Parts: sequence; structure tokens; C-alpha cells
Amino acid sequence: MVVKRHPLVSFKLPLISDALKGTRRRFLIASGKIAQENNKDKLRMKKAQMKIQQTAFMLLAVTLFFVLAGMFVLVFRFAGLKDSNTDLEAENAMRLITKIANSPEFSCGESFGTQRTNCIDADKVMALKRKIKDYEDFWGKETNVEIIRIYPEKGDVVCNQGNYPNCDIINLQGEEIKSEYSNFVALCRKENLGGEAMDKCELAKIMVNYKQW
Amino acid sequence: MKGGYLQISFAWLFAIIVGAFILFLAIFISVKIINTEEEVQTLEVGKEIGILTNPLEMGFESLKSTSFTIPTETRIFTECNNEGNFGRQLIQISQKSFSKWTETENYVGFSNKYIFSENLEGKKFYLFSKQFSFPFKVADLIYMTSDNYCFSDAPEEIKDELESTNQDNFFTEDCPENSIEVCFENSCEINVNYAMKYVEKKSEKMYFDGEPEMYGDALMYAAIFSGPEVYECQLKRLMQRTKQLSEVYNEKSFIVAQKECNSNLENDLNELKNRAESLTSSTSLNSFSFVVDDLEKKNDLAECRLW
Repeated sequence: MVVKRHPLVSFKLPLISDALKGTRRRFLIASGKIAQENNKDKLRMKKAQMKIQQTAFMLLAVTLFFVLAGMFVLVFRFAGLKDSNTDLEAENAMRLITKIANSPEFSCGESFGTQRTNCIDADKVMALKRKIKDYEDFWGKETNVEIIRIYPEKGDVVCNQGNYPNCDIINLQGEEIKSEYSNFVALCRKENLGGEAMDKCELAKIMVNYKQW
Repeated sequence: MKGGYLQISFAWLFAIIVGAFILFLAIFISVKIINTEEEVQTLEVGKEIGILTNPLEMGFESLKSTSFTIPTETRIFTECNNEGNFGRQLIQISQKSFSKWTETENYVGFSNKYIFSENLEGKKFYLFSKQFSFPFKVADLIYMTSDNYCFSDAPEEIKDELESTNQDNFFTEDCPENSIEVCFENSCEINVNYAMKYVEKKSEKMYFDGEPEMYGDALMYAAIFSGPEVYECQLKRLMQRTKQLSEVYNEKSFIVAQKECNSNLENDLNELKNRAESLTSSTSLNSFSFVVDDLEKKNDLAECRLW
């Protein structure tokens, strides 16, 4: 490679294709401009680096924005879904309370004479309580039913197979009732009075618990 | 002649690529959200339909009816399975959105409902229910329809019962052209042999043997308004509940016996339970008649009636 100092600087840089042919290519640059060109190159490099950094930051910001926006949408949507699911469960409980007393597992049928609406057979409910595991989720997800005797008032003794019928609360699943709808019903049972079976009906409140999502 | 060329700065190129990516992402997410929304809406409609049927299952009236209207064209698919202690009633909804039917794989399930229907399409749907007693009340069967039905040659008691539903789509005379014919004497699309106790639909027979006021007629309507597959599946579900109720009544008989009030129905209840458990199809339904009738009579005469 030949370099002339004044007035011109000559670079003979081989190109791949030229090198193969054995020829050389000549570049002529004014010697006074070398420093300027070097500075310009450095500036361009810095600018390019800045651009790349800007691009990287921009990409990061855009990605972050979309991730945050997506998360916001998802959180908002899931909250809405939970609300609508709870509303549906509440509506189900509200409608269930009007029919559950007349469903075959609870209703008096003709056990106490003629058929009556909103009459619950306490003996049958206690029999159902023994088999309640088979009825899991039958009336809805995590739906629990509780029957409380309200008149004549005695106390708040929870019924089990040992103390029935001398008790006040029949809790089918044995779980606490949190969010509920209730209805007034007649709670009837057979009672042995002086060696004779008699029908005994009392006033009670039936409560249906529903799942809150 | 100078050759022209397009000079695009880096900023422009970046804006175009990122812009295109953002647009693609926005469209993709929008489509996904719309699909999810449609899915959620169909599931909510399915659940609403199930909840709306609750008032049909209360009281002692032999027949109750109602209707509901959905603002958009809707297809309702009812299916059932026999899993668990009670099986499940499955409802699937598809709604018309931008002239296309939404596709969904999801069902809404209920353990305590028995809906008999074909696959339905329309905006207005009619429901009526009838009690199924075997011999104690097992469930209220719900019949859901949207098409017009023609019962021109039905027996008078059936005509009276259908007219009492006040459903606009049931015709006992002057049937419209597009109505589905249900024949009791002649031969047509749905043939009911009231004497032999079966309904024939697409060459398949569904049996409904039993006392008309107890469960016979309830099962006849079930066979008329549903397909053979749904009918047989729901019948098995009814037997699953009969089995569970037999056990509850058996427990009850022990509880009341402690109060010196005997029913002496334990053996008969066990017999019913075993038969209900072993029912495979409606063809063996006639073997129940004497067990059910016997149990009904014994309960009526018992010192302590269980139901």
C-alpha cells in the first residue's frame, strides 16, 4: 500500500472481487480533512448509538405499555366475570328458595294429611341429612340449606341424630351460612304423644346459602 | 435517464414496523376478546335459562307453563349425562352474531333439572312442566319447544291439557303448514301409540308405560318433545333420583318408627331402589308398574305415610 503525504493521500484498498482479479482500487482524500472526517465518523457513531438506545427504550416502553394495558383489561374483565357469576348464583338462590320447600327431598307431600305448599317434613330432612354427601352440589355450587325453628322459640341448638327433635336448627351441610335468601315455611314432624303418633307443625325459616365468587 | 429510488429514514421504518405490529396485536386481541365475550354471553344465557325454569318446579299443580324471549336468534342444545349420583342436565347455547353462529364447546350443567327438548332455534321459547311421580314425587319434567306442534287427532284429555298450557305453538285444530305433526291414530312424523304406550320417532321407539296421572303422560310428553337419546338418558337420571329418594324414605321410615309410627315400606322401597338402579332403557319400564302401584297402595294404607 502506497501513501503520499502531500497534497493527496492515496489509499489502495483491495476489493474482494478486485483482489481476485489482481487489480487495485484507489481512494483519494484531501489530507486536511482526515481529522474532520474522523470527528464526523465519531459523531455519526454516537448518533447511531443514540438511535439504537432510543429504539431499545421505545421498544421496552411499547411492550411495557401493552403488558400493563393487557393486565388492566384482564383484571377488569375477571372482576366483571366474578360479579356476574355471583349475581347468577344469588338469582339462583333467590329462585331456589321459592321452590326448595316444595321439592321432593323437603316437601311434606301427603304425610300430614292433604298436600300443603311451603311445608317441610322435618323427619325427611333429618333422613336427608344422613345422606347429604350424596347430594353434594345438587342444588348448586356450594349451596347450603338451613332451617331454623322460629316459633315456638326455644334456643339455638343445632340438630343432630342424637338430639332430634329437641333442637332448633337443621343445617344440612353443617357449614356456616354467609350470604343467603330466606323464606317462611311450616316445619312438620310426627310426634309420639301418649303412645300415639301425632302431626306437629311449627313455624320456621328456610335459608339458602349461595357461593360468592 | 436518472433511476428514482425511495429514501426511508430509520425513524419511518421503525414507525412502520412497530405500527404494523401494534395494529396486528390490537386486532388479534380484539378478536380474542370478542370470542371470549361471546362465549361468556352464551354461558350466561344457558345459566339464565336454567334459573328461569325454577318457578316451573314449585307447587302441586299438574301442569305449569311459561315462555321467554331472547333478543338475538339463539340455538339451544340440550344434552344429558349420567355421571355421579344424579347425572347432569347440560345446556349449550349458540347465538347469531354478525350473521354467524357463535361456536362454543362449553355447557352449563344442572343436577336437579330434567329438560326434554330437541335442538331448538329461534327467539321465543316455550316451557311447560309436569310432575313425575314414581310413586312419590321425583321431579318436575320440563318440556321446552320453539316450533309449532299439531295435535289434531289427540285424545280429548290430552287436547284439554295442551290447551290449558296456553302456549301459542300448540295447535289442536287448524294447524299451520310448518307445524310438526304428532299423530295418535294416523301415521306421521311423530307417532304416539297410546294403547301400547310408546312414541315412535324416526323409526325409534320410546316407551312411556305407567299410570297417566302418575308418570305415564309426563313421560309421553317427554318422548314427544325430545329425541330418543335425550329421552333414554333423562329416564336413567330420573331413576338415579328415584334411587336416592328411596334411600331417603327408607331412612325416614326408621326415624318415624322410633316414634312408634310404622310404615312397613322398607322392603318395597329396597325393591324399587334395586329396579331403578338396574334400568337400562325405556323398554324395561313396564316391569316397574306393579312395584310402583303396590308401593303407592301400601303408603296410602300405612299407619304413617312416608310421602
